[in-house]
Amino acid sequence: MKKAKKPVVIAFRKACKADGTGLSHYILMDKKAR
Amino acid sequence: MPSADTQTQAARIPGRLANTGIGPTFSPIDIGHADYMAVVEPDTAFWSLVRKDSLADVLTNRRFLNAYMEKAEVFAAQMDGLRFGLTPSAVYFNPTERCNLNCKYCYIPADMRAHGEHMSASRLIEALEILEKHFRSVMPEGRLPQIVFHGAEPLLNREAVFAGIEKFDDRMRFGVQTNATLLDDEAISFLTGRGVGIGISLDGRTAEVADRARVNWNGQGVSKKVVAAMKKLRGYPGFNVICTVTAKNLHSLPGIAAYFHENEVPACLLNMVRCTLPGAREIKPDDEEAATWFVKALEKTHELYRKTGRKLVVANFANIILGVVAPTARRLMCDISPCGGGRCFFALAPSGDVFPCSEFVGLPDFKGGNLFADQIPDILKSPAFAKVTGRKVEDIEPCKRCAVRHFCGSPCPAEAVEMNGGMDRPGAFCRFYERQVRYALRLIAEGRHDDFLWDGWDADAETVFDLRSI
Repeated sequence: MKKAKKPVVIAFRKACKADGTGLSHYILMDKKAR
Repeated sequence: MPSADTQTQAARIPGRLANTGIGPTFSPIDIGHADYMAVVEPDTAFWSLVRKDSLADVLTNRRFLNAYMEKAEVFAAQMDGLRFGLTPSAVYFNPTERCNLNCKYCYIPADMRAHGEHMSASRLIEALEILEKHFRSVMPEGRLPQIVFHGAEPLLNREAVFAGIEKFDDRMRFGVQTNATLLDDEAISFLTGRGVGIGISLDGRTAEVADRARVNWNGQGVSKKVVAAMKKLRGYPGFNVICTVTAKNLHSLPGIAAYFHENEVPACLLNMVRCTLPGAREIKPDDEEAATWFVKALEKTHELYRKTGRKLVVANFANIILGVVAPTARRLMCDISPCGGGRCFFALAPSGDVFPCSEFVGLPDFKGGNLFADQIPDILKSPAFAKVTGRKVEDIEPCKRCAVRHFCGSPCPAEAVEMNGGMDRPGAFCRFYERQVRYALRLIAEGRHDDFLWDGWDADAETVFDLRSI
């Protein structure tokens, strides 16, 4: 089978509300663990 | 190839020609991939991966330029909001200055850790009341402020910390960053029963490596206790481990990553040592070597993910990928400029003194005020805070010329001042960040980047740009 040629361009971007509060000394990856 | 007509038409529209005048600046970057280069527009953190054999065609293609131009304002507004439009919603709360350890790289002065003060339970609760009142007035309804008990070692003042968590459990999200030496069964039960995030520190898979920099005041390692705590926390989702990377454990990184994975740690930070104080600089790893071993560790996590179906997310690297594919989805706010210090979070010392970040707690020039004496909005506007919140890559040489400046952010301001001589200097690991960003772009080219992010990371995100052909 012929291998598909790779796309000429790959570019995408997602967006959401910015609410990051971590710093390198601590990170809470997700919401409350409970 | 664009026709002369197309070029003339483009020239009539201001900002519609790339790389000249007020048009976008497209910087091609070698990412070490066989087929792709990156093309980055630094100001808006726009990136694209372009096949090497088509680079000239793409850069002169109107559809490519137009696709970018149609979204350029949106991208710019996102970056502007992220960089200048946020207000603090988290506090790194030091309930004590003391620590039972004397780690070689600690950013808190040794005298403070040996002889410092505890905050009383009543004072701690008073502080939480002030913080709660402030955040209630500035944060949207339904969103809770985050309080992270930090140190020094917060569990040396455990009664006060637990009293605070007990009282404000329904009004704040809590976390504890601890060296884990005092994390006994009772403490684990208390914290996990309330969904408190727990971060612990471990620098190696063997005591021989882990105890090289993390020792008590008698010079003895404590990793045995940390490993015991890690095993007890197995299966707890709100748990992560920080490994501080120095010249003393660098070559062990892939093994450390494998060890965390084996112990079902859901997320870790493989942090390059912060070089704020001289002791840390003595064990700073070389940037290039650090990047090489860091990537080896990441590849190890990927190999284990493919083998087991279970991820160990290296959160500081996941954040670099997010900075590329979804800048506003960042969780860590160190690698963006201005950094999160003083604008996404601030740090509170046991005296009530307020600093932009924990990294500045030992540096009196960065005290913005006192929680018990000053108003929080005034502290946030203080000259001490402005020094940090005003530090941006556009004012830093060589960052102002760097195409990946918004994927890196030139961390950290404390290092810039203490190690490199000023806020207008880069942080400690410029070349390491260059390599890290290139690797992230390479993973995107290979379609592997999602494997390094936690599942569901984009549940609240929408696609605002998608270009796969021109």
